[in-house]
Amino acid sequence: MKKLKKALYILALLFPVALFAQKEIVIEPANITMEVGQKKQINAYVMENGKKLKDPINLLSRARRSLTIDSTMMAHAIQPGTYDIVAVADGVRKTFQIKVNYPAIASIKIDDIPQKIYAGTSIALKYHVIDKSGATRDNVDVKFTSMYGNIAEVDDYGMVNTMIPGKATITVKAENITNTITVNVVSNPIVKVQLEAEMTAARTGDVFHFKAKALDKNGKIIADAPIFYSFNGVSDNTSQSASGLIKNDGRFVADEAGKYTITASCGVASASKTVKIAPREVSRKIEMVGQGSVNDKHTSDFWVWEGIDGRDYAVTGTWGADGTAYFWDVTDPGSMIKIDSVQVDARTVNDVKISEDGKICVISREGASDRKNGLVIIDVSNPRDVEIISRFDENMTGGVHNVFLSGDYLYALSGGQKYYIIDIKDPKNPRAVSKFELDTPGHSIHDVWVEDGIAYSSNWGDGIQLVDVGNGIAGGSPENPKQFASYAYPNKANHASFPFRSPSTGKFYVIGGDEIFPYGLNTQKGGVNMAAGYLHVVDFTDLENPQEVARFEVPYAGSHNYWIEGETLYVAFYNGGVRVVDLSGELMGDLRKQGREIAWILPNDANGYTPNAPFTWGAQLHKGHVFFSDFNSGLWSAKLEPEKPKNTPIQVK
Amino acid sequence: MRKSLIIVFSLIAITALQAQNYYVYVAAESEDEVALVKFDGKKAETIKNIPVGIWPVENEGPHGITVGPEGKYWYLSLAHGNPYGTLYKYETGTDKVVGSVPLGLFPASMQVSAATGLLYCVNFNLHGDMVPSTVSVVDVESMTELTQITTGTMPHGSRLSANGLKQYSVAMMSGELFEIDAISLKITKTLDLDEASKMAPEDHSMMDHSKMDMGASKMAEEKKPMEAMDHSQMDHSKMDMGGMPAMKHSAFKPTWVSTHPTKNLIYVAGNGAAEVLEISTDTWKTTRKFITDKGPYNIDVSPDGKRMVVSYKTAAKTGVWDLESGKELARLDNSQKVTHGVAISSDSKFAFVSVEGIQDDPGMVDVIDLTTNRLIDTAYLGKQAGGIAFWKIER
Repeated sequence: MKKLKKALYILALLFPVALFAQKEIVIEPANITMEVGQKKQINAYVMENGKKLKDPINLLSRARRSLTIDSTMMAHAIQPGTYDIVAVADGVRKTFQIKVNYPAIASIKIDDIPQKIYAGTSIALKYHVIDKSGATRDNVDVKFTSMYGNIAEVDDYGMVNTMIPGKATITVKAENITNTITVNVVSNPIVKVQLEAEMTAARTGDVFHFKAKALDKNGKIIADAPIFYSFNGVSDNTSQSASGLIKNDGRFVADEAGKYTITASCGVASASKTVKIAPREVSRKIEMVGQGSVNDKHTSDFWVWEGIDGRDYAVTGTWGADGTAYFWDVTDPGSMIKIDSVQVDARTVNDVKISEDGKICVISREGASDRKNGLVIIDVSNPRDVEIISRFDENMTGGVHNVFLSGDYLYALSGGQKYYIIDIKDPKNPRAVSKFELDTPGHSIHDVWVEDGIAYSSNWGDGIQLVDVGNGIAGGSPENPKQFASYAYPNKANHASFPFRSPSTGKFYVIGGDEIFPYGLNTQKGGVNMAAGYLHVVDFTDLENPQEVARFEVPYAGSHNYWIEGETLYVAFYNGGVRVVDLSGELMGDLRKQGREIAWILPNDANGYTPNAPFTWGAQLHKGHVFFSDFNSGLWSAKLEPEKPKNTPIQVK
Repeated sequence: MRKSLIIVFSLIAITALQAQNYYVYVAAESEDEVALVKFDGKKAETIKNIPVGIWPVENEGPHGITVGPEGKYWYLSLAHGNPYGTLYKYETGTDKVVGSVPLGLFPASMQVSAATGLLYCVNFNLHGDMVPSTVSVVDVESMTELTQITTGTMPHGSRLSANGLKQYSVAMMSGELFEIDAISLKITKTLDLDEASKMAPEDHSMMDHSKMDMGASKMAEEKKPMEAMDHSQMDHSKMDMGGMPAMKHSAFKPTWVSTHPTKNLIYVAGNGAAEVLEISTDTWKTTRKFITDKGPYNIDVSPDGKRMVVSYKTAAKTGVWDLESGKELARLDNSQKVTHGVAISSDSKFAFVSVEGIQDDPGMVDVIDLTTNRLIDTAYLGKQAGGIAFWKIER
């Protein structure tokens, strides 16, 4: 028996060899090298025992966007590189390579530099190496040399440091191509730098706006003087280094309490100012008030609202379960009572939303038994006896992950690609009136939030998209949505977006949140998990030039859903619990390091679906209580202690 | 001499009696898991759950599953992504991921050709717009998608011919059957299955009318919650056709195609018509029509070519057919609702049928003895058991 097993094992090992051992594919020429743009005929045939066969054969490129081969075996080189080609015929295959040479460098373009550079100052050369195919190349060695090093010298990275007046030629060379520019170094009239700020003391997280002026010996301002800002400091905490962020427009923010010296320099002239930074001291106590336990399945999103009877209610969804949504009376947040439920054909009710008048609820359906996913509209006029009004599936079969209700319209994601706008004036007969979808390759979407007639969608790699759906800013309407601004960030993990119009600064921010699970997720009972990712604060005040200015990150935890009221952010950070964050004033840098975190709370539940494994999903402020849902334990409420009166002015003018 | 014969016969008898274990991989679509089910001839059980996917809070929907011809790797299509689905390659036994590649929208059924070593996977594109979708061709050695071949709307079922040189797929919404040359990757034949169904000869002498559900012929008019999507009844006037001309919405709704192991025949499940068509790949014409119970969904033909097992999704039953006589030998109730996939063991003795269930029902695998045509046992796994692939027999 053992021998038989061994024989079978050997046979199994030899099977693939045996399959292809009889025949061989011959490629001619044996070594193929091409130039970009070139076409080359390849010959391929099958040999068996020294005999050429007429077997059909196909050559398939593993990099079809860089090198293609058509059915006549004509290869077309599109991009440089070395590419694998698979030749297949009946019972035989062969992998070979085609090399496409990098084109020679054709030119080096150097961006314009100032016509005059003051001696003692520096400039960074910006250059682009272009090859003969027109492609910009960053994989070639670039050398910099200066003809007159006593006037201006250049380092390996293209940074030009000037010394004395005169003209120096700087040469940039890649392969055999060179480009030379002349640096006109003029005598430096700057004898003094003046530095001003609107305050001399502040708290961590407060943003300074330093303004520097370069002056000549007559006190005249030299408007084109290049000024560089830097800082050093000493933390009040002896085991902590002073840290912060300074921008070259003079904005500065400190993370740590201490003394900081900000320096503005222009050549040898410089000026410094020292500022005193106090701790932000915004932390407050938060106390758990109540729990509406769901411990037989995972809980997803939730919404709290005031019902038409004046009492307060909540709806919670469920995840990876039986398609149930629960309704709660949360009038007493210390005693939240489950009052009704609906069950729909789904495994996950991921999202739940309530209309502004408190009468309509919409829930999303994923994992339907017939794969006919969609959404369900529910009458919640009496939350103790909710009634399904209608379901809407048209174009939704790929699954509705998130929905939003705004006025008479429903915004529903479809298949992770787009969202439909659905008129629910007659909730018994919902009808799609339009859709919004990007046209970028491989575009996808995760969430949409609507406020003041603007839809803020979260589009993973395509980032935050702002669409006019009735605001008027771009002439859009629900029937005719018009995109007018966007911002994408490099990690391509944009999962949620929430607008924030800062009352204290007038700035218009949109906070984009990541969703990342670098360690996977065990959704089984007993699974304990960690997430990653953070909140990106994007300044959209200039809609055409949005800037990412700040972040809120919790180490070893990841952001999920959030809510902003006034100047306070309430954000669920999965295993990091719910965080309450001070958004007052201008936002810049690392908000958590700045001590802007007001409070945090973890919902430990020994009787949870997975016991003692907090995994908070979303948070919402309602009538002074922080409500939040947790993946493993249901609905929770907490209360933040009142803000302490600020008797002492902290910012000193 | 007599003594020798006794020894030989004894050895044969011992070998025959020695327990055989059968292994199948089953995808639990709403659990993001794949279960390895072991069946010892009497008892079926899930011996391993393999978590799949990379976006844990999103349901990625493992849908199609197949074991490569050499048995060393198994392949899994994850339906949902951002937005494209992904094909994963796992090593059998260790069940470790060894590679992945994004494919099209909602990649579904697939197979690896022993002739070319390439994998052919249909992109079901269940996400809404009624537009033609594709078959992805993947080099599984490097896990590279080599090309996509445009076929029909919502291609779901697909299988390769026994010699691995032809790939057959059916497009559920456009009601078409496609034959693709596995080497040239060109479509070589297409067939309108609604027309083929109308033209098909019905051999009533072979039908067992006592077992027929006479309501089945009304399938197209009824809207049953458990049947596959009946787009012929939907109001597509609201749909975004993406600038495409209006598309046909098949009443036949082909959901699966299987190939005969030795003959040039293929079998197509008409989910909307409650019938299976036998089509000759030589003449490209229907040779027989088998009237089934409601919602025939998946098909597998036994490796010995004698039996055809059909899952009746809507009826929650499984049909066992004798291919020679064309008779349905048995129509068995499955253990719960929503019968899905079928995989027959390599010795043609057992059929493994995945049964989805609804909501939080566990997924199940019913094991049917094809010699007695009886359901022997049921294994339990994660929610929405769907794609199923036979791996091996082990003594």
